[in-house]
Amino acid sequence: MSLDSQNLAYAITQIAHNFGAVTVVGGAAVALVWREAAVQRKLAWMVLAGWLIQAVSGATFGAISYYFYAKFPDIHSIALVALKVKIVCAALGFFLAAWQLKAQPSEVLRRYVWMALCGLGVLALSSAAILRWFS
Amino acid sequence: MRSLSILLLVLASIASGVAMAAESKIEISSPADGAKLDSMAQNKLVYNVTLGPGGDHLHVYVDGNEAGLLREMKGSFTMETLAPGNHELCLKIVNKNHTPIGVEKCVKVKAE
Repeated sequence: MSLDSQNLAYAITQIAHNFGAVTVVGGAAVALVWREAAVQRKLAWMVLAGWLIQAVSGATFGAISYYFYAKFPDIHSIALVALKVKIVCAALGFFLAAWQLKAQPSEVLRRYVWMALCGLGVLALSSAAILRWFS
Repeated sequence: MRSLSILLLVLASIASGVAMAAESKIEISSPADGAKLDSMAQNKLVYNVTLGPGGDHLHVYVDGNEAGLLREMKGSFTMETLAPGNHELCLKIVNKNHTPIGVEKCVKVKAE
């Protein structure tokens, strides 16, 4: 496989990862402003999908590296912490969005959940920047 | 005729790009392999690198542990003081995703 196909694989994965990031933060932020229950339910599905895309595309980055070089990315210290933070954010974000859809909590509780989801999104994006520039 | 000229120009650009893609290469000019270093000093690792296809930056390792990330292709890296004994210093070319592309250079040194 050529270098171009490798770059293409990374780029396609990056596109999915970027749109997943926009969805988890943007969806939660919009839900904090737009409080209509029906709209928030649709946003919850979007955010759930966004976190799933984040997790799958994140894992795909590692898989592409392994496919082309038989090695995973070599990261340590602060970058490793940032990766773990991202994984925890994705797990919590997915769980919270799924719980919100299943439990259908009160408006007050729902607002707290959206705040948490928004915070998780911001934290994950911030960690992504650290992961990108440190190793 | 004009289309042919453009086509030739594009092909020439591609060909020159291929010709200019240098092989990945790492040179560690200091310390030399087998060198004895002062364990009390912050020694420098002096290097010169050609990234080659797929390479994006460098990772520095001391005894297998990552000690730094380098984006300059020629220069030096100041290491933390080394405990007395034998050590291995390595440079690896990695891609944008921090994955080693299989090109590395190591030297063994002894700190005294």
